[in-house]
Parts: sequence; structure tokens; C-alpha cells
Amino acid sequence: MLDALKDVIRKSSIHVCLINTGGCNGCDIEVVALLSPRYDLEQYGIYVHNNPREADVILVAGAVTEQWREKLQRIYSKVPEPKIVVAIGNCPLSGDVFNQEGSSVYAPVSDFIPVDAEVSGCPPRPSEILAAILAVGPDAIAARGRQKV
Amino acid sequence: MSSVIWYLYEFARKSWVEKFAAARTEHEIMETPSRWRNFPEVRKEYCIACGACTAACPAPMAIKLVRSTDTSEEGGITYPVINTRGCIRCGFCAEVCPTDPKTLLCGENHLIREKFTILPVDKMYVMDEYLCIRCKKCLKSCKVGAVSEVDGKMVIDQSKCIACGDCIKNCPVKGAIKGVFVSNVEEQKEIINLVVNTLENRIDEEQDKIKDLEPEEIFKFDYPIDELVEQAREIIPKDELIRDTIEKITDRLKMRIITWDDEKCKRCRLCVDQCPVGAITYDEEKGIKREPEKCLKCSICYQTCPFGVAGFYVARFLLSETSLDEGVIHVTLKPSQLPMGS
Repeated sequence: MLDALKDVIRKSSIHVCLINTGGCNGCDIEVVALLSPRYDLEQYGIYVHNNPREADVILVAGAVTEQWREKLQRIYSKVPEPKIVVAIGNCPLSGDVFNQEGSSVYAPVSDFIPVDAEVSGCPPRPSEILAAILAVGPDAIAARGRQKV
Repeated sequence: MSSVIWYLYEFARKSWVEKFAAARTEHEIMETPSRWRNFPEVRKEYCIACGACTAACPAPMAIKLVRSTDTSEEGGITYPVINTRGCIRCGFCAEVCPTDPKTLLCGENHLIREKFTILPVDKMYVMDEYLCIRCKKCLKSCKVGAVSEVDGKMVIDQSKCIACGDCIKNCPVKGAIKGVFVSNVEEQKEIINLVVNTLENRIDEEQDKIKDLEPEEIFKFDYPIDELVEQAREIIPKDELIRDTIEKITDRLKMRIITWDDEKCKRCRLCVDQCPVGAITYDEEKGIKREPEKCLKCSICYQTCPFGVAGFYVARFLLSETSLDEGVIHVTLKPSQLPMGS
């Protein structure tokens, strides 16, 4: 009974924390477009807070740079369970154009934190990001929530 | 007051209430528009494995050329594979892809063909800045504004030039503007070979007269070119091009002639080792022999021989101003001023 109630609440209100670990900002702008009235992220019960302590979903954009390696793990540890990670764009997946020979980029991001969903593209369309969050977000959070820690 | 009524009326409408209650992003907004440049589409069968796409790609791991394994029937084909985790959808690969139809399709940029600005002319006009006296007659005479002055030099813009030839007609210096036939290059080569070989053979026939020339004496004769023109017309029936080519040859050609006088030879064999191409050979029975086909006309034998066996002459040519069929080439031949027997 309580679990079912928790599921409903978890599914209908997803709090998102956006982290750019050293990308070009293009994916961040696409997320901002999601917040705009045109796409209106909040109609799906998704709220962008940028505070890891109250987030359910971490959106990681950007190739991981030297400075971000440990900070990213610290942020991840601060997010309360249940939590999922969505990698936005090509940077967290492969390093993209920053992953040239001799550059100090530590892609992919899955080397540091577990990634649940990937959205490829440089940058991906806002609707693609939204679809990825909605596809994994509610169910994964609900399922994680029921797990005994 | 009326606006309040209007607002009440507006908010009371059923459609407004419905929209307010179920506010959703409209479906079209979420759909991908057709102009959206998505990841490249690969059509393997057209690939020629040139690697242009991999060279143009700005992302390090987005595109790779792979080759499928050979089967017993046919060899494997090479084709690009797009890694969507690295691809930034820039469409460069599709733009550089040289195959037709394109192996890679991405967006619509690669469908844009550059506008063809060069008019299909077969003559290109080039300014010779050393001969040009900057009188600007060409600039004034050009109808399309292709001639302009850049840094004090006259310049012809090839993309504007329509090859009308007005600039050459008005140019007071011969050769300051050069009209170059850019088409029929192979035919031009054939005509050049024909003319030069014919002239060389014709001069060879006059060997005996040439040998008797005094050091300062000049030997002249006219060579009618009607046969030459007939042969050239068989190569390409374009009188303007033939005349242009022959005129350029006669203006520039400085033919070197080597004569050989066996009677003077004392078999000293100095020339045999000197010849850089081995055109001169020595035989116990036949003596010194020269093979004209191998000869480079470098004149080293002439400069080496102490007995004057080899003669070295220089021939110059001039095409008459008359029409092609009646035209003659004035040939002027004189002994070289190089020291001999040194």
C-alpha cells in the first residue's frame, strides 16, 4: 500500500540535476529549451533543480575533464536513493570532438558513475532528451525505490 | 466594462476550459521536422573507399571505413560506418563524398551545387605583366568588366571573362595579353609535334647548302604551309586554333641544327665520349657514325671537334600575315656564335 503510493508520487514528480562536466554548453541550452513554454518540461512532472541533494535524475552533459573526475563522483554520492543518471549528448558517451589525441578528457562518463540512459547527438533534440528521461525515469526510480538497500 | 465581459466570455468557452485543464505540448512540436539533419545515412553499394568522409569528419571516433569479409563469390566491399555516439551530425561527410549518387546522405547541404560561374569558353586570356605597359586600353574596351587594376597591375577575372577578344584587339603590345586555348590540348600537342617535325625535316633537306655557309652569312628560305595546314585540319578542323598554334610556335621556336660533314673527319674519337646520349659511335670499319634520332642538339660535339665535322646552326621562324592557305613560314638560319674546337 505504502509502496504503491510512493510509486505514484515518485513517477509523477521527478527532480533533475543538470551537470556539465566540461562540454561546450550546447546540451545545456537544449535543456533550457526543454524548460521553455514550447516544450514545457514541467507538464510531465519533471523539475530542474540543479541541487543534487533533492534530485532523482542526474543529467550529465560534457566530457569529463580533470577537474570534474572526483567532483562528479562526490555529486553522485550526494544524490539520495533512488537515483538514475542520464548522459546527454555525445560528450559523456565518447568525448566527441574534445577526445582528440593529447587532450585531457576522461570520457566516457560511465567510467566514473553508472549510467542508466544515453542520448546521443551533438546536441540531441530537446524532444529526444525528454523522451529519454521519460522512458527510463519514472519506472526506474519506482523500481529502485522498492529495492531494499 | 466591455473588456471584462469579453474576458468572461473568453474564459467560459468550452475549448478554453479544455485546453486549460489538459495543457499539453502539441504533438507537432515534439515531432522532428523534415529539415532536421539527422545522423548520416550510409548506402554501402556506392562507396569507393576514398576516405574523404573520414578526413572531413571533425569528431575523432564518429566515422570509420570498414571492409566486409570476402565470400567465395565476391570480395568484400568497403563502406563507412557511423558511430552515433561520436557523430555530431555536421554533414561534412555527405558534403565531401565524391560519389554520384552520394554514399552518405546527411541533411540537405550536400544537395546544393555550386553555381557554375565560368562560362564555357575554349580560350583563356592571360595578362603578361612584364610586357604590359599599363595603358589601360583593355580595361576600357572590356564589355563585361573582367579587366581590373589590382596593385597597379592589370588583372583579368577569369570568372567574368567571356573570351570576346576585344582586349587583345586593343592591346598595343604584341604578347602583353595572351589568348590560350584551354580546350583541345591533345590536338594542340599533335599540331605542335607535326609543325616542329616538318620544319626540322625541311631544314635537314637543305644540309648541303647550310654546310657551305660563311660564319657571318645568313641562309633564308620560305616554306609554304598549305600542306601543313591540311594535315593540321585533319587533326582538328579549327582554323583559328591552328593559326594560333603555328604562330606561337614560329614566334617562340629557336631550332638548333647540327650538320655532319663526314669528309672532314680524322677519326680522333674525341666526340664519342663527349656525347651525353651516345648518339655518336665508333666502328673500326665504318668509322665515326652519328645517329640523328638520338641527338639532343646540345652542340657539345660541335664545341669538341677540332676539324669542324659538326656544324651548329640556329634557325628562327616567322609566320606571314596572309591567310592560312597562302601562308608561308620565313625561315632564317645562321651559324651559331659558339666557339668551336675548344
